[in-house]
Amino acid sequence: MSLFDGYQPLPGAFDEIVTADGPRPAFRRVLEQLDRMTTDELARHQQLAELALLNQGVTFSVYADNRGTEQIFPFCAVPRLVSAADFAHLERGLAQRLRALGAFLDDIYDGQRILAAGVIPADMVLGATTYRPTLRGVRPPGGVRIHIAGVDLIRDPEGTWRVLEDNLRTPSGVSYVIENRVISKRIFPRAFDRARVHRVDHYPTRLAETLRSVSPVAGDDVTAVVLTPGPYNSAYFEHSFLARTMGLELVQAPDLFVDGDIVYVRTTRGPRRVHVIYRRTDEDFLDPDAFRPDSVLGVRGLMRAYAAGNVALANAPGNGVADDKAVYPFVPDMIRFYLGEEPALAQVPTFVCARDDDRRYVLDHLPELVVKAVDEAGGYGMLMGPQASAAELSEFRTRVAAEPRRYIAQHRVELSTCPTWIGERRRLEPRRVDLRPYVLTSREGPWVLPGGLTRVALVEGSYVVNSSQGGGSKDTWVLKGDGP
Amino acid sequence: MISRVADHCFWFGRYVERAESTARLLATTHSLALDAELEPAACWRPVVVVAGEEAACRARWGDDEATFADGERIEHALTWDEDTSVSIRRSVAAARWNARTIREVVSLEAWETTNELHLYLRGDAARADFADHRFDFYRRVRAGTQLTLGLLRSTMLHDEPLDFIWLGVMLERVSQTARILDVHHHAFTSGAGHHEVVATSLWLSLLRSLSGYEPFMKRHQGRVASMAVVRFLVGEERFPRSVAYCVRSAYERLCGIRPPTATELPGGQTLERLRVLDELVRAQRHELRDGEDVHELLTTVVDETHAICETLGKELLGHDRAA
Repeated sequence: MSLFDGYQPLPGAFDEIVTADGPRPAFRRVLEQLDRMTTDELARHQQLAELALLNQGVTFSVYADNRGTEQIFPFCAVPRLVSAADFAHLERGLAQRLRALGAFLDDIYDGQRILAAGVIPADMVLGATTYRPTLRGVRPPGGVRIHIAGVDLIRDPEGTWRVLEDNLRTPSGVSYVIENRVISKRIFPRAFDRARVHRVDHYPTRLAETLRSVSPVAGDDVTAVVLTPGPYNSAYFEHSFLARTMGLELVQAPDLFVDGDIVYVRTTRGPRRVHVIYRRTDEDFLDPDAFRPDSVLGVRGLMRAYAAGNVALANAPGNGVADDKAVYPFVPDMIRFYLGEEPALAQVPTFVCARDDDRRYVLDHLPELVVKAVDEAGGYGMLMGPQASAAELSEFRTRVAAEPRRYIAQHRVELSTCPTWIGERRRLEPRRVDLRPYVLTSREGPWVLPGGLTRVALVEGSYVVNSSQGGGSKDTWVLKGDGP
Repeated sequence: MISRVADHCFWFGRYVERAESTARLLATTHSLALDAELEPAACWRPVVVVAGEEAACRARWGDDEATFADGERIEHALTWDEDTSVSIRRSVAAARWNARTIREVVSLEAWETTNELHLYLRGDAARADFADHRFDFYRRVRAGTQLTLGLLRSTMLHDEPLDFIWLGVMLERVSQTARILDVHHHAFTSGAGHHEVVATSLWLSLLRSLSGYEPFMKRHQGRVASMAVVRFLVGEERFPRSVAYCVRSAYERLCGIRPPTATELPGGQTLERLRVLDELVRAQRHELRDGEDVHELLTTVVDETHAICETLGKELLGHDRAA
């Protein structure tokens, strides 16, 4: 049986690849090639791919402790396709969004014009736990704050791309983009060749350039390092992957120390100065002097060195206020305010429970809505109204009424689907997906990696794509052209 | 390079070497014990002593000879036990953990081999092989570790990280050779005089447990005499498991990391101790006359190797880090 035989798109959802009338025109050529594979062949490839991932140690730690349990990130070999036209649209919209978000952070940690102008209510920003008043007036080296962004996009039933979330702190997953590509090329060499797909393997080079571009000192003698919380962190594979592919040293906090507001790394030949730190630790744990005094992970004095302009941190501390779920509804206003442009990318209409009208609506329509706690991530602290029990609904009703500032709500968007390999049924079935493209911002401005992490909710009927809750990933093929 | 990373390199090398050594020792002893002429305890007790597990075994299984007579139980413990620090499974897991922590340093090929061996030892296939094909099991473990050691040299930059890995391999190896030789030499020469045939098979087994059978024969053309074996394993500078070779090789590696002339860099004490040990071994290897000489020299080697690792940890691997 060939791969797409009998594939049925999910009614009511936008299928990325196949409509009720057959493949989408831009993908017809690629699909013909993909469809040459039989389900038996794919089942075998799929198995080999999973074994290869395990042997290569492309895994994430299941628990954040020393139990050492590691799993592969479930992977579906059938790629998700993005047309050239769609990607051009995303590229423009993402670059615009990142420029505005960067301007917002510069403003919030300086004159706060946008608050004075009343575009965003001041308490939405200044009252956020993610706002760092101590960083006001600190200019980051190189003038960049959001060096690496991973913006989560979804697609509604009309096929409109919408931003679901801006991840501006320590977005992860890009290593899977590159590793998934290695595998999908191996499995579908002909289809890949015919499809003319943008490459993704130069990401580490671009990231290294981005990091060097913000060094506080000029010249070739720049030491950049990747800072990881350590091997028990769930994303340790990625930290190590990025250090390896950039040729940078992977350090842990105890390897660094600060003397006279200069950061050094301890080497076998004595201390060496560090200019740029790509930090994959949460900012709460960066420096026990500045943030959490109980942190054992931090580097004492790091924030003083940063404030003195002697070390660049990527991403900059304090970014959380721009990807705060309560600030998200105002991003289109930011784009208009700072850039004088209309937003190119849509987002999901959002009710801000701190606003009286919105809160009343949310409490009245709870069973139809998705409610999210603004300070939680990874699919936690969420209420899926349409699937919730009466007890869950009543619990959230109490919580929202008690602490409205902590909650936002959205109508559930019917996520788009992709043909996805379901091993136990040995066939493709539609499963819901999102897309996380990665945007690097150097001194010269934003650059969007032509690809991204497609996360897929492998469980039938599920909307949750997070790896911690039954999600998997797919390679994302961004086509260079949509012609036949 | 970063001191912590150097530390992981060093221990990665030590654990890979240790896993290989334990597998080799178990395989040769298993084979030796199949010769009915020997008491099982005479074969297995030295293995337990070399592993540093004598006290633990007595505490666990009883304070008499029977404890060392059950080879199956000993093999099982030294292969699988999570709380036996030198067990194959634990050594491989530790090697793999160190490698995973420094994935950005270890070559992809060497990492994959280590990881595959680790996953094999965690799976059912390894248990089945151990039960049904004991020699194939040990062979597979050894092939895995040897492949890792070979890949490290053929796929990594010959640079500081590899120097630290190899320093770990060599210091682990010298301590293994010295202990295996010391313990077995003692066991073979004390107690009732063995029949000549038995004695010969013991010395051959010792050579095999150090991969030295064929190299020894090339030097001695079939003449097996106890002191000749001892002198070979201590002093043959072209045999890569002899004490003399390992100490010299460790010294040369450390010279690459911290040249003798670079007095401004840390590592001076370690280098000096290694140099002195190298001199001592070279001076004494021709002077070995009897068991006492052998025991004395090997004890010095084991103690001094231990001390060198401590100094190295403080000077170069960040163990002495001020807060």
